[in-house]
Amino acid sequence: MDAVSTSLERYMDLVSMRQKLVSSNIANADTPGYKTQDLDFQASFRSMLDGGTPKELAVPNLTTRNDGNNVDLDREARLLAENALRFNVASSLVKSQIQQVKSAIKEEVS
Amino acid sequence: MSLFSSLSVSASGMAAQRTRAALLVENIANSETTRTPEGGPYRRKDAVFISTPVGSEFASELDSQMQTGVKVSGISIDQREPEKQYAPGHPDADANGYVNISRVNPAEDMVDLVSANRSYQANVAAMSAVKDMIQRSIDLLK
Repeated sequence: MDAVSTSLERYMDLVSMRQKLVSSNIANADTPGYKTQDLDFQASFRSMLDGGTPKELAVPNLTTRNDGNNVDLDREARLLAENALRFNVASSLVKSQIQQVKSAIKEEVS
Repeated sequence: MSLFSSLSVSASGMAAQRTRAALLVENIANSETTRTPEGGPYRRKDAVFISTPVGSEFASELDSQMQTGVKVSGISIDQREPEKQYAPGHPDADANGYVNISRVNPAEDMVDLVSANRSYQANVAAMSAVKDMIQRSIDLLK
C-alpha cells in the first residue's frame, strides 16, 4: 500500500524467516554435529529494505558439546518468545494501517 | 508460505524424539531380558539423529532455501560384551553356571527419557509459537 506497509511486510517476512531457523535449531537440539543457525537481524532488515537478501550469521559464544552440537535451548526459547512478540507488534501495526484505509473507503469520521 | 514449513520442522523434531523415547522405554522394559530372537541377552538400542531438509514437494519449487528438520538416521545397538552373572539354576546359564545379562543401565535410560521429553516439549512450544504467528496473519484479513 505505502512505504510503511511495505517495510512492515519485509519485517514480518524476516521475523518468520528467523522463526524458521529457530524451529530448525530446536528440532536439531540432539543431532550430533549440528550447528546453530541464525541471521543477522539488523543487517538483514536493512538489506531487505533495499531489496537484498538476509544475511546468515555464525552465532558466537556458544559452547560446543562433545557430539559437535552447539544448540543452546535457552537461547532458542528466548528467540522463540522474542520473534512471536515482534511478529505480534508488526501484525497489529499492519492491521491498524488496513483499518485506516478501510475507514477512508467507508468515509467514516474517526 | 514459509511459516507453514516451520510446522513441518517442529513435527519432524517431535517424531524423532518420540522414536527415541520408544526405544528408551523398550530398553527399560528389557533390562532383565536374557533371551532374544537374535540370540543372547537384550542389547541397548538408541536412536541416531541426522539433520535433513524438510518441506512439501511444492515448497521446493517455490522456496529456494529448504529448512533443516531432523530424522532418525538409524538405530545404534550396543555391541559391548554382555555382563556375566553367576546363576547356575537359570535356564540360560552356560556350562559354568554363568548367565549373560543385558548391559542396559535403567538410570541412563531414565535420564535420556527425561531429555527426550524436554526436547519434545521444546518442539511443541516452537510449534505453538509459529501457530500463533500464522493465526495473527490470518487475523489481518478480519
